[in-house]
Amino acid sequence: MAIPVIMPKFGFTQEESTIVAWLREEGDVVRMGDPICEVTTDKVNMEVESPGDGVLGGIRYTAGEAAAVTDVIAYILAPGESAPAGTAPTSRRQAEKATPAEAGKAPATPVAARIAAAVGLDLAQVCGSGARGKITRQDVEAHLAGRSAIAPQPSHPRATPAARRVAREHDLELGAIAGSGPRGRIQEADALAAVSPAAPPAPTPESLTGTPEIIPLAGMRRTIAERMTRSYQQAPHITFTLDVDMSAALELRRVAGEEQNAPSLTAILVRACAWALRRHPRLNSYLQDDEIWLLPRINVGVAVALEDGLIVPVVHDADRHGITSLDATLDDLVARARAGRLLPDDVAGGTFTVSNLGMFGIDQFTAILNPPQVAILAAGRVERRFVPDAGGNPVARPLMTLTLSADHRAIDGAVAARFLATLRAALEEPARMLL
Amino acid sequence: MPETLVQTRPAETQLTRELTYMEALREALAQAMEADERVFLIGEDVGVYGGAFGVSHGLIERFGPERVRDTPISEAAIAGACLGAALAGMRPVGEIQFMDFVTLSMEQLVLQAAKVRFMFGGKATVPFVLRMPGGAGTGAAAQHSESLENWFVHVPGLKVVMPSNPYDAKGLLLSAIEDDNPVIFVEHKLLYKVKGPVPEEMYRVPLGRSAVVREGNDLTVVATGLMVQRALEAAETLSREDGIELAIVDPRTLNPLDDEPIIASVARTGRLLVVHEAVGTGGYGGEIVARVAASEAFDYLDAPIRRLAGRDVPIPYNRELERAAIPQVEEIIAEARALAQGRV
Repeated sequence: MAIPVIMPKFGFTQEESTIVAWLREEGDVVRMGDPICEVTTDKVNMEVESPGDGVLGGIRYTAGEAAAVTDVIAYILAPGESAPAGTAPTSRRQAEKATPAEAGKAPATPVAARIAAAVGLDLAQVCGSGARGKITRQDVEAHLAGRSAIAPQPSHPRATPAARRVAREHDLELGAIAGSGPRGRIQEADALAAVSPAAPPAPTPESLTGTPEIIPLAGMRRTIAERMTRSYQQAPHITFTLDVDMSAALELRRVAGEEQNAPSLTAILVRACAWALRRHPRLNSYLQDDEIWLLPRINVGVAVALEDGLIVPVVHDADRHGITSLDATLDDLVARARAGRLLPDDVAGGTFTVSNLGMFGIDQFTAILNPPQVAILAAGRVERRFVPDAGGNPVARPLMTLTLSADHRAIDGAVAARFLATLRAALEEPARMLL
Repeated sequence: MPETLVQTRPAETQLTRELTYMEALREALAQAMEADERVFLIGEDVGVYGGAFGVSHGLIERFGPERVRDTPISEAAIAGACLGAALAGMRPVGEIQFMDFVTLSMEQLVLQAAKVRFMFGGKATVPFVLRMPGGAGTGAAAQHSESLENWFVHVPGLKVVMPSNPYDAKGLLLSAIEDDNPVIFVEHKLLYKVKGPVPEEMYRVPLGRSAVVREGNDLTVVATGLMVQRALEAAETLSREDGIELAIVDPRTLNPLDDEPIIASVARTGRLLVVHEAVGTGGYGGEIVARVAASEAFDYLDAPIRRLAGRDVPIPYNRELERAAIPQVEEIIAEARALAQGRV
């Protein structure tokens, strides 16, 4: 009896996942619980485990393809058993493609089956274009008429005569032009855009740059690209910078280190932010369409750099943690983030974000908002700098430059300034946070 | 016959007088009979009754029964008499009550009238006009509603004219009467009451000249007869609601066809919709499409060419079905919109 392997649902809002790689191949013997493939949502990678003992077979999605949650992606079969036929893929992407039905019992409408039977046509030869790949009367008729309703030859792209003329006149390769017309047909405007001087400059010839290594803008990279672009285009960013004397914070760290492990500066920073956010709820909000949502919980996200990418695990209820507890929580989140082992809920629900690049030696920087959040704090390194003391004499103090980016649609300058003043007070006099 | 005004559309100063399509035809007949005594009318009930739809109303009183001749119920006889009189030096204008009945005169028209000039090496000419109202929309069912113009388009030696408005109706009829070849003059029952500017003088609209009846850059519509009016109506809606500007070309003479304005327009818009009332299969639209596809406009096409034509059915008697069998304004709007918006 074949056991279906379904695409699991990892998060509440998740609708589909993309197969990153198959860890096992068709025909491999697998045991229940064995990881058989790796899948990714836009945020995290997860392994799908075998739901039973048997032989992996009937793989329906190759690496790079997306499957809707609960879609059957493969089967665990008994030795010698073949994968069930007829259970066509159900994801939208698959259904749209009109794949040839599996051998054997292909799903077909009654009338399609009757016509096929009457002319002795094997339905397995027919491409189904109906819902869930079902073979319709039109499909059978199209097949009998010797034409397929699908797919142009890639070597002969769909293009209107006008588009072909433009391509000919400008010596363009039609295959290199993206078509915007029905079924991807290249229109005259598409071809003109490819020659227009207003179009983005053609890539530098490889003779000058050398052959590039191509990194597709996919998965997390694409998510970052899209979110940051949208944020930068939609949210009017205003930024505020101030220096904080970190003497007391460093002293706190030293003292804590005598008790147990010395907490990271990030943990102290998160603690101070949570404390300040409690006092300035406007900064702890979402901008949702025409409304500002003041949020009761304070969930501080911390940006973590990955090898290629960035992820923001969230400390939920950061205001209810002590510094030591925050430090331990952050250690765990950062370690799991770097190992690609974060769960969807670990990266969900952030209400404010801290990005600390101090450990990379950055003095100061501005961060792009993480919508729908309305504020993000960018922290630079702690550096001993001379400042005048009360008597006007230079004294070296450990200073940290903080830059707050805020969405001006929700936050005005004075509001941001008051929040930053509270934050500085918390960091320069940590005893306040005991009160 | 005195050389008079030859033009393709009324000048602004002549726009003041309005006539119906039927009155315009009648005026053309009267003026031609006034100017040339060889011109006479012949047909079933064209005399006292004034013609099946009243086009020749009052002409028997004015010109007498010698020049406005009633015939027995025989379309073959009407066509044959026209042919014989034309060969004998007259310029007859025959009327077929409904275009459907022209089937009975095909031998005279196709085997005889169309061939004479060529078989006699140009020594004989056949200057007659056979008028006939085609088209559906009057609830007259399958045998009184057909649009058979393309049958005649297919016959070398016949000219086929199809006016879409009162101005063209008068000007084209005068040109047809003066032409030395047999001319099939296709009127439309639903156009008879349509009003439009018609100058009083005896002007001509030349045969074999298409008219661009509306300028636009988004889509070219080639329409004939009644469909020109419907295309114009559709164009106003599309312009108002979608900002889509249709160019509309009316061939006016189906054969010989002046295809240059059509090709020039398609080369500019890159999109073509052909609309006619006659059934699509084997219809005149195929000729238009073929000419465009074979022309220099091909390289400017940015969408498939589309045809909107009558369904391939005999015209139903039921009004709703009759309506469904013939292109309506809303269908032209939908087709043109889909084409112009790049959805086909």
